[in-house]
Amino acid sequence: MTTTDLDEPARSRFSAHTTEFTLAGIAALGYVVLAATTHGSVLSGDTITAILRFLAVPMMVGLSQMAVLAVGQMNLSVGVLTGFTAMASAWLMVQVGLPAWLAVAGGVLIGAGIGLVNGLIVVFTRINGFVVTLATMTIIDGLRFGVHGTGTYQHYSAGLVALGQGAVLGVPDVFILAVLVAVAVAVFFRRAALGRQLLASGGNPFAARLSGVSNDRSLVIAHLISGLLAGVAGVITVALSGSVNATVGDDLLLPSFAAPIIGGVALAGGVVSVVGTCLAALIVRLVDVAQAQYSINPEWVDLIIGAVVLGAVLVTQLRLGRRRRGR
Amino acid sequence: MTQHTPTLSPERSELPSPPARARALPFWANPRLGLLVVIVVLVVVFAAARPAFLNVGLTIVPMQSDLSVFVVVGLAQLAALSLGHMNLAIGPTAAFAMFAMGWACQDLHAPLLVGLLFGLAVGGLVGAAAGWTVATTGVNSFVVTLALNFALLGVVSLLYSGVGDGVAFSVHPAGMDTLRDNTFSDYCVGNVCGPPVPLVVPIAVVAAVIVAILYRRSRLGREILMTGANVKAAELSAIPTHRRIVQAHLLSGLLAGLAGFLLAVDNGAFSADIGSQFLLPSFLGPILGGTALAGGAVSVLGTVLGATLTEVVQTGLNLLQFQVEKSKIYIGIVLLLALSLDRARHVIAHRRGGRPA
Repeated sequence: MTTTDLDEPARSRFSAHTTEFTLAGIAALGYVVLAATTHGSVLSGDTITAILRFLAVPMMVGLSQMAVLAVGQMNLSVGVLTGFTAMASAWLMVQVGLPAWLAVAGGVLIGAGIGLVNGLIVVFTRINGFVVTLATMTIIDGLRFGVHGTGTYQHYSAGLVALGQGAVLGVPDVFILAVLVAVAVAVFFRRAALGRQLLASGGNPFAARLSGVSNDRSLVIAHLISGLLAGVAGVITVALSGSVNATVGDDLLLPSFAAPIIGGVALAGGVVSVVGTCLAALIVRLVDVAQAQYSINPEWVDLIIGAVVLGAVLVTQLRLGRRRRGR
Repeated sequence: MTQHTPTLSPERSELPSPPARARALPFWANPRLGLLVVIVVLVVVFAAARPAFLNVGLTIVPMQSDLSVFVVVGLAQLAALSLGHMNLAIGPTAAFAMFAMGWACQDLHAPLLVGLLFGLAVGGLVGAAAGWTVATTGVNSFVVTLALNFALLGVVSLLYSGVGDGVAFSVHPAGMDTLRDNTFSDYCVGNVCGPPVPLVVPIAVVAAVIVAILYRRSRLGREILMTGANVKAAELSAIPTHRRIVQAHLLSGLLAGLAGFLLAVDNGAFSADIGSQFLLPSFLGPILGGTALAGGAVSVLGTVLGATLTEVVQTGLNLLQFQVEKSKIYIGIVLLLALSLDRARHVIAHRRGGRPA
């Protein structure tokens, strides 16, 4: 499926930028329309805070999926891993009695550890990453349930929940955290040698190997980052909601693919777009907000997201096709 | 990065002219044999630990009904995998097809068979639409069926909100309950009664046999496999690849509809939650059975065995009082072990029977 065109990277980067502009335009337009048709209720500070607060988790799971897409892999365990790390860090606080900051660090580390295991299995068995993470998804699903059965953890740490509910000048703390993480991911893929190596492995493994890049290392690191970001999503969930149970993460797997795909990230690997992924998460969030504002049937949300995913990809495809024919 | 190593075995539908050294692979490198051994061992272990595992009424009969559903779900994914594509929308397609069938039976008073044919046609149309989108736009099938999954989830819930109690049709077409409750042992000729096999099992068996014949014997099936192995080569061989892609996806949607029907019979209702649990089993069966994600090779028998293994593990652990969610840990581990063993067996077999180094 990979194109071996010489100027493919340049074109892909161009298309990623155009996609980002288009998405920013769509998000801005959507917001303006929302503001105009709801008599300005989405302009109020509280609503904006709420929109951003629940944007943090979709951003993190989208970036988590994007990290493995960068090397041409998929991670089916993103959703359940988010749920498992949420349950694990709540367990660390309630059952083990660790202070909140240690439990948060523990949750993120568990996520990274499981991501590392995913990557190592992929490299050592040479089994397709899709299949490996399908298996680990099943296992983690069981583990997530195993932490506390059908029970709910609550009243864990007043400080952590206050942080999750808090905001600086109307901007939620968790959103600031998500943006900082996103910036770190962007810098990693744009500036760090390791990040560039991941993209090289994803774009053309053969060329990467000839240039002295270890594709195996790239795969392991991509899975590790993916697990780490799922862990961040998990602890954000813990801070946000004040109570967690084994259903956390059930509805995150397919959205985790939707955000990077809408954002212009190629499934074949070699291209990432942090801005695009985050903007796509914002657009999906705005669809949610619109549903709440117009009090329409929540089922429309899925339908619209499906249309957006397909539409975004078709537009990219058409533009590439026109450019290719234009040459 | 593909691990698509051709083997030549009777069950595996393969493209013609396999490399000469694949012929040298010993019989124990056949993944289907390994699966069969694992299944037999697990059955013996579970039966020893819990004699109820062999209880006909409590375990064997319900297991066969469940298995029928998951075999057909696996075949639906196999149809997409044969192209090297994926179908993430099998669950919602099943739900949508069963909405169509429920509607036909309730509002048009269609008999069971007519309703079923209508439902299957709708499922096939959905699949064909996905295939057409993939073929004409060149967008990855993963993305197209992901979008379709979202869209259909919304559509199905919206449609159901317009009928009855908003979750299910109350209609029970004549024959549906018989299909659900009876086994062949209820039908006797004189003193000879049939085996304790539910009436839905033959439906799944026929589906599996037809799919197997399609991929092994028919020109259409071979051309789909050829398209999956190498689109360009297939095109140069005058195969209408676009049409083959649409047809394979049509088959996938049709089988998704059939799986939905078998589940509806099992549940006794056409409801909105049909297919919500199809995504994982759809991949488990074919992948355990040795169907490559890369396309061009399928194994129907392997899919049946893979689904059987999953079902045996789940039922056995359930009898040992594991909760369903926890038993998933072991299913995942079995999947990883089976695939690793398969890899190891392949590597060893290739080294032994392979070319002189």
